Amino acid sequence: MYKSILLAADGSENSFRAAEESLNFIDDTSRVTILNVLDAGAAKNDVLHSTSGMLSRKKEKLSKITSLYEEKGIDYTLRLERGVPKETVVKIANSGEYQAVVLGTRGLNSLQEMVLGSVSHKVAKRSDVTVIIVKYRCPHMPM
Amino acid sequence: MWEKFKREWLTNPGTNILAGVVVALALIPEAIAFSIIAGVDPMVGLYASFLIAVIISIVGGRPAMISAATGAIALLVTPLVSEYGVDYLLAATILMGVIQIILGLLKVGSLMKFIPNSVMIGFVNALAIMIFMSQLQYIFGISIDTYIYLLATIAILYIMPKIDFLKNVPAPLVVVILLTALYIFTGANLQTVGNLGTIEKSLPNFLVPDVPFNMETLQIILPYSISMAIVGLVETLLTSRIVDNATDTFSSKNRESRGQGIANFVTGFFGGMGGCAVIGQSIINVRAGATTRLSTFTAGAVLIFMIIVLGDWVVQIPMPILAGIMIMVSLTTFDWGSFRFLQKAPRTDALVMLITVILVLFTNNLAVGVIAGVAFAAIFFATKISKVNVVKEEYDDKITYHIAGQIFFVSIDSMMDQIDFNQAVGLVELDFSEAHLWDDSAVDAIDTIVRKFEERDIDVKVESLNADSRKIIKELSTLNEQHLTS
Repeated sequence: MYKSILLAADGSENSFRAAEESLNFIDDTSRVTILNVLDAGAAKNDVLHSTSGMLSRKKEKLSKITSLYEEKGIDYTLRLERGVPKETVVKIANSGEYQAVVLGTRGLNSLQEMVLGSVSHKVAKRSDVTVIIVKYRCPHMPM
Repeated sequence: MWEKFKREWLTNPGTNILAGVVVALALIPEAIAFSIIAGVDPMVGLYASFLIAVIISIVGGRPAMISAATGAIALLVTPLVSEYGVDYLLAATILMGVIQIILGLLKVGSLMKFIPNSVMIGFVNALAIMIFMSQLQYIFGISIDTYIYLLATIAILYIMPKIDFLKNVPAPLVVVILLTALYIFTGANLQTVGNLGTIEKSLPNFLVPDVPFNMETLQIILPYSISMAIVGLVETLLTSRIVDNATDTFSSKNRESRGQGIANFVTGFFGGMGGCAVIGQSIINVRAGATTRLSTFTAGAVLIFMIIVLGDWVVQIPMPILAGIMIMVSLTTFDWGSFRFLQKAPRTDALVMLITVILVLFTNNLAVGVIAGVAFAAIFFATKISKVNVVKEEYDDKITYHIAGQIFFVSIDSMMDQIDFNQAVGLVELDFSEAHLWDDSAVDAIDTIVRKFEERDIDVKVESLNADSRKIIKELSTLNEQHLTS
């Protein structure tokens, strides 16, 4: 079991799956930091193409993750950062506090991904710690 | 009060000042280029960017948002300047400010949220296309050297942000410095800013625009001022939504409209052209970590300081460099998600977006596009919700009509058309469980349906009205308890 992991969560369905998956290798002695990075660069696209419900849905998903951990008795903290998501995730993953970083394969913003490359790819390449990338439809193994 | 002041001005002053400096450097080339689009001396745009940024930092509603001279306004006023001259532009800017202050006091700012996304997407796309088109005259048919400088500019602007240790340096300024230096030392056959205007190394002075104060002047400037006020507020609202989203905070749209008005009003008296919030620089600011009004203030102050120090160099900047920067601005302004939007969005939304773009390009006026776009969106919306769905179910002894939709003056015809009054049964049930009655026309329509059936000796039961609908039926209808079941 890992003692300390970083969960990069953008509020997408996949980040919730990543949170579910993380339960396979943490227990109630582990500490999880849920990292959500607010990206100013994607803000224009978000505003132009979001229905008013989208932002609140994103918050809902994050709270789904926290309530999942609460239910399983996992010790978590929620950390909000601003910046370019992939760089911020790499920076914090490499801060020395974590044994592993967990993230989903596909985030919210497919257009950006096409142009800039995916967050998971960059993190896998640049992280100094173990990276666990949770694939799109990963069957949840019971603990 | 003091707490709020401290939070909005003094949180993280170091980060905010640094962000402001970066923004100032990014504003300078654009302010000059927008001045040239409008057809005025670069100082008119530079003064505007300085004054608007500094004033809005104090009176605006959205901390950390950057306002300055913008392409949207510059493109609007080109015909005014070429026909009547810069003084009419300054007068129009003052009037634009007055209109925005009034709109702010009337709380129109919060009405702007009714502008649908499809119109906003059309707005940014039309703006991008217009900025792009405005640069062609500085690119084609001038000289071979022009093409070379243009391509070099675009290449540097494209590559620099991709290099990790250079990406926090404002690329446009680096391009301007590098290539202007190259031009000064090696020379080339190019147009420069100096060919198109002059730079004064001084702070702006108070001056009343030199126009006759009569009805004729008002008739000339008023249409421009109205367009400028609307376009300024639309872009400002869009930008503040983006900054709200990027910082996960909320801001006062009414205070911002009023602030924009004050900023433009004052700017006009100090020789600056009208402006509004700018999306690009606001994103740069927030990305650099800015959260407070101090960042916006710094951006304006550093800008004017740089101009006073570097004014002699500004006139030497070759035009293709500015054209290249403007082309990159237009590429980042364009909403590249539009192509997917056109395929995926409801047909009417896609149509509204296209109508907005096409009307802007036809009229050269962003305000016309926004107003027409909103009007079409409203009509499509009204048409959509005025469709009432009636499903008929026949039983041995009765007929049930399931009515679904919004019942109001526009939609009653659609409902009535779907009901057949010549029935051979003793009882008709009208099921309103999925409908909502909105006005007296809706109540009238139901009374009429009931009366028509009863004239044919058919009993009618009106069923499952929701609470609001039942209330207006009670107040306005001639139906009695017998007709109504819950």
